[in-house]
Amino acid sequence: MLRFDRRTALKAALGAVAAAPLAACGAAGAPDGRLRVAFPTAGAKETLDPHTSSLFVDQARAKALFDTLVGYADDMSPVPRLAESWEPDATGTRWSVRLRAARFHDNRPVTADDVLYSYRRVADPATGSPAARQFAGVDFGASRVRSATELELVLREPNFEFPSAWGAPATEIVPAGTTGFSAPVGSGPFRFKSFQPGGSTVLARFDGYWEGAPTPPELEFVPVNEESARVAALLSGQVHYAHDVSANSATLLGRDSRTRVLAATGGTMQAVALKVDRPPFDDPRLVRAIVSGVDRRALVDVVLSGHGKPGNDLFGMGLEYYPQDLPPRERDVELARSLVREAGAEGLAFDLHTSAADPYFESAAILLSQQLAEIGLRAAPRVGPSETYFSDIKKIGTAAHTRTAPLPLPAFLEQRMRGTAGSNNYTGYRSAEFDALFSRAMGSPGEADRSRLFADAQRLARDQSGLLVWGFSDWNVAVSSSVGGLRPAPPNSLDWARFDRAVVG
Amino acid sequence: MALAALRRAATAALQLVAVSVAVFALTSLLPGDTAVVVLGEHATEEQLAALRERMHLDRPPLERFAAWAGGLLHGDLGRSSLTGLPVTEDIARGFTTTALLAVVALVVVVPLAVAIGVAGGLRRGSLPDRVLNSAVLLLNSVPEFALALLLVGLFALHLAWLPATAAGASGWELAAQPALLVLPVSVLVGKQLCGLARQVRIGVAEADDAEYATHVRFHGLPERTVVLRHVLPNAIGPAVQQLARVVDGLLGGVVVVEAVFALPGMGSGFVNAVMARDLPSVQAYALVFAAVTIAVNMLADIAAKRLVPQREVMA
Repeated sequence: MLRFDRRTALKAALGAVAAAPLAACGAAGAPDGRLRVAFPTAGAKETLDPHTSSLFVDQARAKALFDTLVGYADDMSPVPRLAESWEPDATGTRWSVRLRAARFHDNRPVTADDVLYSYRRVADPATGSPAARQFAGVDFGASRVRSATELELVLREPNFEFPSAWGAPATEIVPAGTTGFSAPVGSGPFRFKSFQPGGSTVLARFDGYWEGAPTPPELEFVPVNEESARVAALLSGQVHYAHDVSANSATLLGRDSRTRVLAATGGTMQAVALKVDRPPFDDPRLVRAIVSGVDRRALVDVVLSGHGKPGNDLFGMGLEYYPQDLPPRERDVELARSLVREAGAEGLAFDLHTSAADPYFESAAILLSQQLAEIGLRAAPRVGPSETYFSDIKKIGTAAHTRTAPLPLPAFLEQRMRGTAGSNNYTGYRSAEFDALFSRAMGSPGEADRSRLFADAQRLARDQSGLLVWGFSDWNVAVSSSVGGLRPAPPNSLDWARFDRAVVG
Repeated sequence: MALAALRRAATAALQLVAVSVAVFALTSLLPGDTAVVVLGEHATEEQLAALRERMHLDRPPLERFAAWAGGLLHGDLGRSSLTGLPVTEDIARGFTTTALLAVVALVVVVPLAVAIGVAGGLRRGSLPDRVLNSAVLLLNSVPEFALALLLVGLFALHLAWLPATAAGASGWELAAQPALLVLPVSVLVGKQLCGLARQVRIGVAEADDAEYATHVRFHGLPERTVVLRHVLPNAIGPAVQQLARVVDGLLGGVVVVEAVFALPGMGSGFVNAVMARDLPSVQAYALVFAAVTIAVNMLADIAAKRLVPQREVMA
């Protein structure tokens, strides 16, 4: 009920604004040059410890205060940051890394000691870092510092994709020995000025930044949880940047001359996970029936209001190692119906788990259940609490909506598809063949070999894993038209929420 | 009289205990725990287990409740299972913001409601009465969230007279920039005006019709004196209890208003604590909100009791 009221009211309010002649809004410029960015936050829970960050705002702040060894290009391939260069030995278990000349905010140089200390801290279970698993394979006893700017990281098994771990969220480099983060020192483009959990964070330009001093003299993170409030704050000139705006707001903001929308196309995978390790979806015919019975184009047009593109049952469209040559899955109702009949599952009823954790889940569930009804299946949308949704669906049900922001493709395959993925394998897919292909790919020094093996592994997973990727939704942020120097970029990539090159005009 | 007040206070204390048990039981039923929320969707079972141990979430709920209740008896509201910091620090941070909102709203709503109630009560069925009555009823029937968005759309975005949100300002910063308070307070007032104004109107109407009012009028007292000295005091009894409802309503309203206007007060803190499944914090917030509500209602009951016999004597 509340949601209905909210949506209706939001549309009415924003509609009135869009229809209004442009009210002159004096606040749009920033006389003090301070760049104000609005993000949802988590109140008292917030911390400046970059290694425990799990929210987008934590990542954005960590990016401003700290640096990582590598960043991600838009296709999630690693690009050098603090690491100037790196190379593996022939076995892919010993990595030599050379650091560039960079300084922390207190003028100490960034050294190999700091890197090793940071990674040890990330891998330590006591830290509770979401990036811990990326460093689980590191032999810290054997890894060592070679010189102030050179270090050697040793792995227990071959991994020619290891550098992509150095760009993951929560792998920032902190000065060796750091334990407290109440007034953090990093090597990022901005220095710490003030912070209050649940309140504003103010950072100041770091003139000694290795990539050159940032443009904005100051950067302020303003906590605004409600999407409508972020949109209103942006339109009225109170902030210059609004993180995560819905497709509806994006349409309205795109028409307003006070604002611009930066849409990263295909930013987020939208999928339904069918658990293939239990009935009824342990019957491959049924999985194939559902995959053939879904109209992806209709889902993109209706659910995403066209702000996205149809999926092909694989994560990572457009990312490095994504197999480009696969024909798209087309809807085939006849085939789907006959497969349902063959499986003896006509009229089969099951719960389709969904929640408000993603703005598109609930409407997708409704449309999907209609489409599946046409092939003789009765999928009933079942709404769960959004805060714990993604951990709930690991344990419950047989079909659930899920989504994933961009991350390096091999990391996705390892964390979601491999036998060792445990509960993070949402579909319960297990295949010795897939695991073998994946391990061979990770252990292949040649990029062409790796690429081919990853493609083979993905083809296998596409047909067997039970992950129905119906689309990729755009990722929208909105900025004031007075701000330059920002471009659309997928979340988690280097250029996403990167404020050091922003120009407040 | 004193005994009755004491008995009322004992009831209030029991209510407080009941609330804390109920909140604990209900929040325990929520799926997921703090560790799940903190580590997010990619966490492994081992990571979750390690964090649960560190946050003492692996202890049985009754043991945690006992520890929490024990601390409470010593005046200790406990520590956040998330940050490990005393919950009171977190609550204190949001307190000024919320208290400021609620107090300013109360200061606006009471005289406004009395004025509307008296004006309507004395001239029942007149055009001003009907207009005012419909207006407060209309305000009351619009959901807070919608009212807030409409006000923002009109006064902040279209006319650009007022700031659209408070965007991170809190506590005394708000007092220093009153413009930031106008829209949030308007929403709270708009929502709470109706009940109080209508209660005052009914009270005034009843007192106005009563024999003693006719009696003093008959004796030639000026209308001003009749209303201020005789009608209004007798209309206030039931209105005081309605005032307690207004305070309850304001406390509920701040949750929505703080969200829409990005104000980091107790309402936002409470919502965040629930979302993070931070049980000690949720408990503490619920307890503080409950304590205020129970105390205000208790005071209203006692005050109303004192005010009512006056009418009986007069009549």
